[in-house]
Amino acid sequence: MSRSKRFLIGGLIILAALSYLIYGGMREAIVYFVTPAELKGQENSSKGKSLRLGGMVVAGSLQKDLQALTYRFQVTDGVVSIPVFFHGVPPDLFSEGKGAVVEGRMGDDGVFLATTIMAKHAEEYSPPHTGKPSAPHSFVPGSEEKKP
Amino acid sequence: MTATIGHYCIVIAFFLALWGIIAPLLTYRTGREVFFSSTRAGILGQFILVTAASSSLIYALVTTDFSIKYVAFNTTRATPIYYRVTGLWGALEGSLLLWEWLLVIFSGLVSWVYRDRHRELMPWVLLIFSTVSAFFLAVLAFASNPFEILSPPPLDGRGLNPLLEDSNMITHPPLLYTGFVGLTVPYAFAMAALIIGRVDEAWIKTTRRWTIVAWFFLTMGNLVGAWWSYHVLGWGGYWAWDPVENAAFMPWLPATAFLHSIQVQERRRMLKIWNLSLIIIAFSLTLFGTFLTRSGILSSVHAFSSGPVGAFFLSFLAVVLLGSFGLLAYRAEHLRGQAEFDSMLSRESAFLLNNVALVSALFTIFLGTIFPLLSEAVTGVQVSVGAPYFNSVTVPLFLLLVFLMGVGPMIAWRRASWNNLKRNFLWPAAASMAVALSLFAWRIRDFLPLLGFMLSAFVVFTIFLDTVRAVRARRRLAGEGTAAALATLVRHNQRRYGGLVVHLGIVLIALGIAGSMSYSVERQATLGIGQSLAIGPYKIRFEGMRGLQQPTHFRVEAAFRILNGGSESKLYTPALKFFPNQQSPVGRAVFRSTLADDLYMILSGFSEVGRNQATLKALVRPLVAWMWIGGGVIVLGTILALWPFDVSATEQDEDRVA
Repeated sequence: MSRSKRFLIGGLIILAALSYLIYGGMREAIVYFVTPAELKGQENSSKGKSLRLGGMVVAGSLQKDLQALTYRFQVTDGVVSIPVFFHGVPPDLFSEGKGAVVEGRMGDDGVFLATTIMAKHAEEYSPPHTGKPSAPHSFVPGSEEKKP
Repeated sequence: MTATIGHYCIVIAFFLALWGIIAPLLTYRTGREVFFSSTRAGILGQFILVTAASSSLIYALVTTDFSIKYVAFNTTRATPIYYRVTGLWGALEGSLLLWEWLLVIFSGLVSWVYRDRHRELMPWVLLIFSTVSAFFLAVLAFASNPFEILSPPPLDGRGLNPLLEDSNMITHPPLLYTGFVGLTVPYAFAMAALIIGRVDEAWIKTTRRWTIVAWFFLTMGNLVGAWWSYHVLGWGGYWAWDPVENAAFMPWLPATAFLHSIQVQERRRMLKIWNLSLIIIAFSLTLFGTFLTRSGILSSVHAFSSGPVGAFFLSFLAVVLLGSFGLLAYRAEHLRGQAEFDSMLSRESAFLLNNVALVSALFTIFLGTIFPLLSEAVTGVQVSVGAPYFNSVTVPLFLLLVFLMGVGPMIAWRRASWNNLKRNFLWPAAASMAVALSLFAWRIRDFLPLLGFMLSAFVVFTIFLDTVRAVRARRRLAGEGTAAALATLVRHNQRRYGGLVVHLGIVLIALGIAGSMSYSVERQATLGIGQSLAIGPYKIRFEGMRGLQQPTHFRVEAAFRILNGGSESKLYTPALKFFPNQQSPVGRAVFRSTLADDLYMILSGFSEVGRNQATLKALVRPLVAWMWIGGGVIVLGTILALWPFDVSATEQDEDRVA
């Protein structure tokens, strides 16, 4: 076998391995972004998928148990509300009446089981179809867009 | 007034940069030296004007001149003076100015250092520099003006994002930007070499040191960024695979690949097209990163048009890519390699594989970063690609790279004989296997971390074995003591030993990542005074809390003690900071760092009545400290590689040995 052929085969093997890794990795890690209305409309098809649900935390809906560290609240887009359950410590910015994005899966009982809460400044919140949440834990020099 | 001076400096500098593009062409056309001299004068002029503009902005920030919008948004009267200065890179306009400032510093240095050399290349090098500079100046003058006036001026400014009020923020952006801008030097020389058609190894030899410097700053910039994220952001992690992080990290990958593959070209005259492509890609990625983070495209593809900056960057990126690769294609027939690979088992192959792994990692990260944009643009479905994707694809690639760090520097060029392999790798392989077995017997049972630790040990052993042998040989031949022999070796092979020390630093970072990724523990609880939270081998006891009025904010801190067996630690006080201009508090995590693990404490809530309850989130992250130690070792290695040891002394030394 000629040298260039061997390098070609080596290259193809590497390419195949990489594609496999990428495909597998993507399938595991893709998270779909939905609004409460979209989630309501596709409850069956979204079962088990990783989802990010964005909306406002309904004022007065938050029930927290600080000892057990459980949080129950409703996330709304103004029309549809989805009940959310979360166990853990929410970020500093999380509170009622403000924007939040919760990541997790839809439970069988219609309650969204959140594994992560990402909160947003209310002033910077916009519904998901016009703006995704800015990632909570990241910064590259000056990337914070200042707004008046 | 300050604003007018600053703005006009930028506008005039822009026209000088245009002259810096025209004059080299005239030099080439007419052959008249006066045009080349004026190119260099133009570079000097840009340096002076942009320095004046940057100084104006710093002056305005320090004197809190709120008639300038940028100042009003990034300082307050209460901001301490050093954070007023760092406000220069606190937001978009200022950091673009910093970038341009660094760029003219680099082009000034290059123009001065090579004032008597490379007469044929230099006009084109300066033309490339002027082109890049003209672009940034155009952005600063027409799209994103740092000297925009705010009328009427507010009584007080809005202030820097509180998260940026940290000492690491003083260093992180300048380091990273120096790395980005430093890559312009090899890029400019590469393009100049392509333009005049002298595509031998000269441009690589000339820019080698510049490339090492740029790589060093890029590495440090990313590390300090990770440290800042860990230290300040208070989530217990140092890397989240966020697009802005990826944007800073991506240029590092082709730059690292380039640093290795140019050695193959120097030695064997192979991989010419590959090396040129790598430097083009590395340079383009510095622009792409800025485009990605500044255009608003990350929040949504539809937000792209919200500002002109994105369009500027995207157009320039297109010009750079088309121009550079067009030039490369035009010269392609001169670029055929003169040698072929002799064997799969050779240093060339190891370096090639290293390049393949680095470029694969780049492709993976690039794809993961832009996939959400593609998905939204093409199908309208909003998705995000989580950290598991990046981890699962890049971890195998990085493990391969660690392995190659052991192989590459020791394996023979051209074709490694069985003896060469046995001599260099038999003992390290056996010893690292033994390390893996003992770790397994102890308690490390998971495959990936075990492999990571084993490969790290392998690299350390190969370096150790090689150095011990070289020192021994020197002791025998020159009759020197061990320390003297090591010193002579390092001075005579600066690049090699500097590189090996950098490799050790990378291995330490790999250890830190492997340990903290695989064996972190996280617990959270709401505690009353005197209650404690058990995590790993520790218990954390809540001792009480208090509120403090600080110059810029109100601080609520909770005090905890770490109990380990019978011993009690000092008090640790994670805090929440309440800034008057911000709606929500900013957390201030604290951690106790030891070589074995970090215990990280985050105060995430407290009862306002009675101040007798605190919600604590705690993490134990093993081996994290080694990442920062590894960074220190990389500094050492880079100094070793670049330090101008006395040349004549080295020569005398060689005479004596001979």
